[in-house]
Amino acid sequence: MAIFNLKSREIECKIVYYGPGRSGKTTNLEYIFKTYKKQVTDQLVSIDTEGDRTLFFDFLPMGLGKIRGCDIRVQLYTVPGQVQYSSTRKLVLKGADGIVFVADSFAIRRDKNILSLKDLDLNLKECGLNIFKIPLVLQYNKRDMSSMADGSIPIMSVETMQNDLNRQLKVPYFPGSALTGEGVGRTLIESLKLTLIQLQKELKWAQK
Amino acid sequence: MTLKLQISYVINQSWELHVLCDLSGFNPPEVAFGTYKQVINRWDAEKPISFISSRGIVMSIKEQIKSILQEAEIYRTQGLLNEAMIKYKNAAELVEKNIKQENRQSLVDGITKKIELLKKTILKYNDPEKPPEMPVEIQNLIKDKFAFSADKESAGLEGAIALSKFGQFERAITEFSELLKNDSLRLVAAKNILRCFFATSSVDGALSQYEQWLKSGIFHEGQIKKIRFFLENLLKDKGIERKLPLADIPEVKAVPEKAIFEKKSMADIPEQEEVEEDDEFLDINSVGITITDGPQKGKEVVLDVTFQSGKSVSLIVPGREKILIEKFKVGLKLDNVQFYSPIAMLNGSGVISAFTKISSGPKMGSYSLDLKIST
Repeated sequence: MAIFNLKSREIECKIVYYGPGRSGKTTNLEYIFKTYKKQVTDQLVSIDTEGDRTLFFDFLPMGLGKIRGCDIRVQLYTVPGQVQYSSTRKLVLKGADGIVFVADSFAIRRDKNILSLKDLDLNLKECGLNIFKIPLVLQYNKRDMSSMADGSIPIMSVETMQNDLNRQLKVPYFPGSALTGEGVGRTLIESLKLTLIQLQKELKWAQK
Repeated sequence: MTLKLQISYVINQSWELHVLCDLSGFNPPEVAFGTYKQVINRWDAEKPISFISSRGIVMSIKEQIKSILQEAEIYRTQGLLNEAMIKYKNAAELVEKNIKQENRQSLVDGITKKIELLKKTILKYNDPEKPPEMPVEIQNLIKDKFAFSADKESAGLEGAIALSKFGQFERAITEFSELLKNDSLRLVAAKNILRCFFATSSVDGALSQYEQWLKSGIFHEGQIKKIRFFLENLLKDKGIERKLPLADIPEVKAVPEKAIFEKKSMADIPEQEEVEEDDEFLDINSVGITITDGPQKGKEVVLDVTFQSGKSVSLIVPGREKILIEKFKVGLKLDNVQFYSPIAMLNGSGVISAFTKISSGPKMGSYSLDLKIST
């Protein structure tokens, strides 16, 4: 839930990166941290286990500066993707203003993408939010993997992923590679845009 | 010898489409669904000499084994351990069935070692030890970022609960202990302290804390009874039957207590008659109300909970929900209401106890609704 300080004209909103385990949510934040140094206002907090699996969440605060007379601050979070961290995912999702769903392009992870999207839907409902209403952007990550191992790694086509994940939602989507940074910025910018538009409807923060 | 070509398409982890073509043209192509193992067993009599993988590349058996091993290795480095395991097993099966015995063993041994290593790693991740104690800065971040209420008291409670949910029990106990100073949060804080002791398997710690509270006299009789009941149930969950002592505590005027964010196991504990039913109701985040008539009949409108005290929740009804606004009035009973909590969805009913239009601030034009949950 965004905080809008009328007096100081500051708005603080929360965007959560969701998706199955190992789909590249943390890598997205790491790339953002490295690339958008001017906007990043503090260190990337990453709590992971020995195997680089996110244990609790990642946290990256950003400042976008003044937009329409309002100082915009954004907090990016990731959830732990592994199935066993369900209660942590719910806690991190609470108060989200926008969601980036990071899907894995490996064909072998097809079912996991779908299950994670269903999990998002359920958890949003429990938070009183609606997957069809919350600003949501999809990222089809790991597109670069198609060239690995002489091209023998089965990667799903964008059409297949669209059909699996975005047939009903019809939200913006971006093929990308969090490792190389392809599509990371576009995903974030689109998510910020949708979130701020939604918050404008709710809070009327922007000055004309 | 007949010349055969197998074309395989991986559909998902357990299903593949295999087509076996007889290149001599004497027999029609055979089509089979199933795992590679199932299909190859069926076609074992005449093994194909070449494959086309799901990416359309013609491969010999050796090339296919190499390709599967590469795939497994990539999945392993990506942290997709179960997927890597499946591929290593596929490769091992291919080796067993197709490679001559004299060349087979070293390859099988190599793959088996990889599989064993993967098994250990998977076991470790599936059975994680208790969450590590985080540095103070991280704990402060958790306390700060996972407290959503505007008022300081509720935020303090939410922050402490978040710490316990992230497994930072020692710090959570410190935070809950601070909240004991607050009349309205004392009971909730005490129960959560006990819960933290149990989460760290410190039954003795919980018992000694209870005895300390008995002596300190900070709780009134009604509260200490509730704490005792709560602790006895925690003990019962652990298989310990124990009747705890009650001290002679002077009666102090009771103060209303806030509802708490309960862990599922404790939410399941039955209430004792003397425990006020308002104390232990689940934390409700939002409420779904279904429109029962008109053109939008059946549509569920989900409303955020802005405040909760026991079984009473306050909701904001946006001005655009005209159908609901026209229908709502004090005393109206709403049936088939969905109560969404962080741990469960409940179906029930409620009675509107207050309904007023908000006349100022960012929510101007919306309505504030108080609902008494009657389920």
